[in-house]
Amino acid sequence: MPLETFKASDSLTMGVELELQLVNTYDLDLSSSANDLLELLRRKPFPGVVTPEMTQSMIEIATDVQREHGPLLTQLQQIRDTLVSAGDRLNIELAGGGTHPFQRWFEQRIFSKPRFEQLSGLYGYLAKQFTVFGQHVHIGCASADEALFLLHSLNRYVPHFIALSASSPFSQGVDTLFDSARLNSVFAFPLSGRAPFVLSWEEFANVYFTKMESTGVVKSMKDFYWDIRPKPEYGTIELRVCDTPLTVERAAGLACYLQALCRHLLERREAAPEEDDYLVYTYNRFQACRFGLDGMMVNPKTREQISIREDILATLRHLTPHGVALNSLAALDEIERTAGRVGNHATYLRNQFKGSGSVQSVVRASVEALRLGRS
Amino acid sequence: MVTDYSFLLQSIAWPLVLMFAWFISERAYELWHIPRVTTYVAVGLVGGLINLPGLTTDVPGLPFLANVALSLVLFELGYRINLRWFRHNPWVLLLGAIESIVTFCVVYWVSGWFDLAVDVRLIIAALSISASPAGIVRVANELRSAGQVTERVLHLCAINCMVSVLVLKLVVGYWYLSTSGDLVMAAFGSIHQVGTSLAVGGLLGVAVPWLLRLRSTNERGVTVVFALAVLLLTTAAYGLKISPLLAALTFGVVARERRVHLTNAQRDFGTAGDLLSIFLFVYIASLLDWADVGAGMFLGILLILARTASKVGCNLVAARLSGITERKGLLTGLALTPMSAFAILLIEQSRLYGFAPAEQVLSIAAGMMLIQELFGPVVTQRALMAAQETHVTKG
Repeated sequence: MPLETFKASDSLTMGVELELQLVNTYDLDLSSSANDLLELLRRKPFPGVVTPEMTQSMIEIATDVQREHGPLLTQLQQIRDTLVSAGDRLNIELAGGGTHPFQRWFEQRIFSKPRFEQLSGLYGYLAKQFTVFGQHVHIGCASADEALFLLHSLNRYVPHFIALSASSPFSQGVDTLFDSARLNSVFAFPLSGRAPFVLSWEEFANVYFTKMESTGVVKSMKDFYWDIRPKPEYGTIELRVCDTPLTVERAAGLACYLQALCRHLLERREAAPEEDDYLVYTYNRFQACRFGLDGMMVNPKTREQISIREDILATLRHLTPHGVALNSLAALDEIERTAGRVGNHATYLRNQFKGSGSVQSVVRASVEALRLGRS
Repeated sequence: MVTDYSFLLQSIAWPLVLMFAWFISERAYELWHIPRVTTYVAVGLVGGLINLPGLTTDVPGLPFLANVALSLVLFELGYRINLRWFRHNPWVLLLGAIESIVTFCVVYWVSGWFDLAVDVRLIIAALSISASPAGIVRVANELRSAGQVTERVLHLCAINCMVSVLVLKLVVGYWYLSTSGDLVMAAFGSIHQVGTSLAVGGLLGVAVPWLLRLRSTNERGVTVVFALAVLLLTTAAYGLKISPLLAALTFGVVARERRVHLTNAQRDFGTAGDLLSIFLFVYIASLLDWADVGAGMFLGILLILARTASKVGCNLVAARLSGITERKGLLTGLALTPMSAFAILLIEQSRLYGFAPAEQVLSIAAGMMLIQELFGPVVTQRALMAAQETHVTKG
């Protein structure tokens, strides 16, 4: 089946998807309760979209198409409040965070849906190890070529999003020493990583995708687990490297940071993307996962090393006019607060662990952060 | 040189039977997925039937040990109860209370079709409210079950047990009143038992988490401290002539509310809990007298049907109101089937404290207890599996 036509959408519109953890109130382990929660939520109108995810202990929510930070944040807060109140009725807690600190992956139950069962059949234990939680941000593109241009231009900024959103320092009960351990799970999938360097949709659809399809490895875009992938049916590019932050406020901030960055890139004042940019891509990505904002990244154009924190703060200075135009200065403030002052949520969780010495307290802190906002 | 073989056999009968129960239960679980507790009960029953020498319940200390075992389970159950849930979803609490009353009334009414004294009918009805925490917690932990049916079964089981003890104490008070005519004595006995049990449990529930907060303790350490506290509580309960079961449940509930330190005890209290659990179920089964079982079988079946209908009916009616589907409501009602371990110990303990009709009740309800004891855990297990809340999956 040929790749579907790229459906053009309004440039710089955005949508946010968040994968959330379902946690029991007794020992704060993951709870296989997605069915129960979804059943309860079906009874009333939901302020967005809520769907099952790969395993029974996670759900995914999605916002409508949004243009500005204010309405996006309001919708995310409404979704959060609806979920928390439904969770309270069922004695389930909800939490953000890229991993659950001590869940046992082999105990997770695959959600009964043909696609998830097929993936589980193909990937075996990797499917259960995929009980990790990410934020996806869609940015609307006026054309397919614009989508590919943005996709590749963003390559140098990918570490920003990994470091800012990182909230998965713990896995299987221990500190992994990574700020984002989640991305290591994603990397295990054969079709993960970066998209091939193709800037024309014509070539992407008719040459690359057709060849891949003929190998029998892929059937649709869903089979690619790339860090950024085009989404022809929505007319967007989808950034998939972010951990789910602990708060919806941070999630909205990240989405609007991406939106502002895309507006900046579309002005085409920066040097055009090229294949050689990817020479440092995996190294930068690793630094962001491992050290978060303190990681060092190499600028693919100048080949200079700079800390990810410094690069974000420098980028923010260029983005102020875009923040004004997009009405998203509050979001850029949240990013500046994260990079310059309070640190990412991995740091927050490590501090919680330091104070209490228990991984359960880390989950408790995540649950409260989602419920109360700002942390 | 050993010459007194009969004495030797008597001395080693209990540990031998317990080892045998463990081996058989593991095999039965592996082959047919039969809950382990059901096999323990079956072994105890067969031991009683063939009148194995030495397998006597007259060995001093056994009732105490059984109470410690069940108190550990009740503590764990209490620790799983989230009182805040009742605030967010009052339907669960209301369902527990109403279902307890309905079960009491239905069983009392059905038992009226037989030639039974009023106080015996009242006691059977009070016992029928309870659901066996030992059966339910063990099966839920065995399957690492989690979900709405599991949560509700555990919370309803705690409410049922609490109400059952309260009603039984009222009945015992009523019995003292009708036999002695001494209202003060009767009221004091019941109020003292319930009030002191709650107070002692509550006190420990505040003190032990405070102790644990003084230093960072791992899961094993927390398990040891809680187990020792339960042991202390059971000993104190004997001295004070209060209910160790009610006190342990209260201890669990209060400790959960007071926890700041979030490390929990190991599920089922680890290996020590496993060991005591084997003993508990074999012991409970050996308390049943086969002669009574046959005689009361018809009454037993009828009462089980009435009790199950009440629990399933109430859960069905409240399902949608409390936020779940009718199917899950039905499964919750069914999962509450086990009752006997708790009821038998409750009645046994009342007998020890000088409540004369207890013996008679145990004999009349033997058939009911036997069926519940053997098949109750299987029903709970199948209900949790049907609700797809177990972690034992092929996917």
